[in-house]
Amino acid sequence: MSSSDAITAEAREGPREDRAREAGAAVRAAGRLGRSLLLLAPALLLLLVAFLGPVGWLLSRAFTQPHLGLQNFVELWERQGYLQVLWNTVAISATATPICILLGFPVAHAMTYGSPRLRRWLIFVVLIPFWTSLLVRTFATVILLQRNGPLNDIFVGLGLAAAPLPLLYNLTGLLIGAVQVLLPFVVFPLHAAMLRIDPAYMQAALTLGAGPVRAFLRVYLPLTLPGVLTGATLVFISTLGYYVTPAMLGGPRQTMIAQTIQDQIAQFGNWGMAGALSLLLLAVSGLVLLLLHLTVGLKAVAR
Amino acid sequence: MAPISHPRLTRRTLLRGSLGLAGAVAVGAAFPARAAVDLKGKTVVFASWGGAYQDAEKASYCDPFAQMTGARVVQDGPMNVAKFRAMIESGAPDWDVADITIDFLYAGIGDKLFEKIDKSIVDTSRLDPRFVNDYGIGCIVWSYNLGYSTKAYAGKGAPTTWADVFDLKRFPGKRTLADNVVSTLEVALLADGVTPEKLYPLDVERALRKLDTIKSETIFWSTNSQSQQLFVDGEVNLGLILNGRAYDAAKKGAPIAVSWEQNIQSVDYLVVPRGSRNRDAAMHLIDVMTLPENQAKLANIIAYAPTNPAAFKGIDPQIAPWLSTAPDNVKRGFLINAEFWRDNLKKLQERWAAWKLA
Repeated sequence: MSSSDAITAEAREGPREDRAREAGAAVRAAGRLGRSLLLLAPALLLLLVAFLGPVGWLLSRAFTQPHLGLQNFVELWERQGYLQVLWNTVAISATATPICILLGFPVAHAMTYGSPRLRRWLIFVVLIPFWTSLLVRTFATVILLQRNGPLNDIFVGLGLAAAPLPLLYNLTGLLIGAVQVLLPFVVFPLHAAMLRIDPAYMQAALTLGAGPVRAFLRVYLPLTLPGVLTGATLVFISTLGYYVTPAMLGGPRQTMIAQTIQDQIAQFGNWGMAGALSLLLLAVSGLVLLLLHLTVGLKAVAR
Repeated sequence: MAPISHPRLTRRTLLRGSLGLAGAVAVGAAFPARAAVDLKGKTVVFASWGGAYQDAEKASYCDPFAQMTGARVVQDGPMNVAKFRAMIESGAPDWDVADITIDFLYAGIGDKLFEKIDKSIVDTSRLDPRFVNDYGIGCIVWSYNLGYSTKAYAGKGAPTTWADVFDLKRFPGKRTLADNVVSTLEVALLADGVTPEKLYPLDVERALRKLDTIKSETIFWSTNSQSQQLFVDGEVNLGLILNGRAYDAAKKGAPIAVSWEQNIQSVDYLVVPRGSRNRDAAMHLIDVMTLPENQAKLANIIAYAPTNPAAFKGIDPQIAPWLSTAPDNVKRGFLINAEFWRDNLKKLQERWAAWKLA
């Protein structure tokens, strides 16, 4: 044994216990990780089999059907109809989102600062539609908004309108339907953001001479921003994929991308174009998330 | 031996037996009794268009078939051309019998989508030969009609022609057409003054230009049940509806009437998807459909005309004027050109989808 070997051996000897402890900890950590992975396995497997598999399969068809290549994307670009639908979809989502925020903000505010009784009531009122089947709610909206429906009866009966208003099968009907379905998605993130705001900030702003409006705009509103952005993102991305609501409440000019995907599959059996449109939808959703990440960071939103 | 302690004779089987007997007696008055095949343990999946029509088919074809043979019939649908094709491609169709329109029959024969009709099982001699095809058997004759609200329009003020549907001055407000290129293009050209004889091949762009004039005032229905609902709710006062659906709505109290001017006649066929695992049982179900008593029953429920001429004597005389085959109605209408649609359906569906968005 050479001296250098001896030194190394000694060097190895010294912190042996530490190393053993470390190794033990690593093994235990690995064991914990293994166990958590084991617990996660069913969910991951389900995700793989029921989500990633079929979605990947559909998206891959965009490049393989009717034959290998980019023909579906070329057609998508050249045919006016498809880009029109994409534009419809983005425009409708961009309209529904601010309406939801404007309507949801006061509700979340009342929920946060009202009496416990009021809070319970508001949570209940916001959640009940959330628990009701989308189809049932949309049918109910059809009944409510139709030409001889209760809403028009009231308008005409009170003399607010000379003739029944066209509330269905157009943008108005679609927005009413979409907003009422999506409201909980802004109310709860806003409520959560407002709960985290220390009331002392507003008091400080007011005692330091800011008027109520200024204090609200400069202090309170920026503090709710994570909630606003979370809600807006949820609403915007959910609306992008809407199918039932535009199909039942909108008109031909409010055709959205999910309906076109369905048409491509059910009417034309054109899986390639359906895959291309799905990829486009996914890309737009991804773009929105990316923008959100770049402006405020996804972490702030996820908090 | 007296079946007193027979384990299978429950109240239910007894009830079922006596109901069957009552049915047989009632039917026996007009039509002779039939010998039945035994298909116990077999299940046939029947796909059609949903709503009032499929309910009528269940009561008139499927229930009698189940009663006569012991087979079970499962209802499915709605019928959809792309779904049908996808099933055949997969090699194992879920459906055993499907109700399809004449344009898809013609298209599907070319693409080998159907089993050949087994004429040793289906007795085609009962039927008007016009409705017998090697790959499908006609079950009903029906038509696209101009429907209108009798509450909104009465007497001479009522709309009568397709041109009226496009006349926003005389008939303001929302109207309805099918969200389907088949029939809608025909209607637009007829309204624009083209005669039925000169209709085909359709001048597609002219039809779409005509449709542009009422596009913003039109609700396009996607299912027949929806077309009924639009009239029942008073959402529209006039528009296109199938004669049987108008009859069903009227029967249920809706203020609706139809005009027979330039009605567009069509035929539905029962077919067996290629590769059906219950081909023989499916053929037997089609055979039961051809029986006059069953066709009469269906016509009495939903006013779709039979393909078996012997069925007419079993149809309530009050329903006769609602049938597409009533001599007066035949005279004023014409048959849709199935060959044209066989060759152009796919291309024009895409044109239609693009037009809707523009």
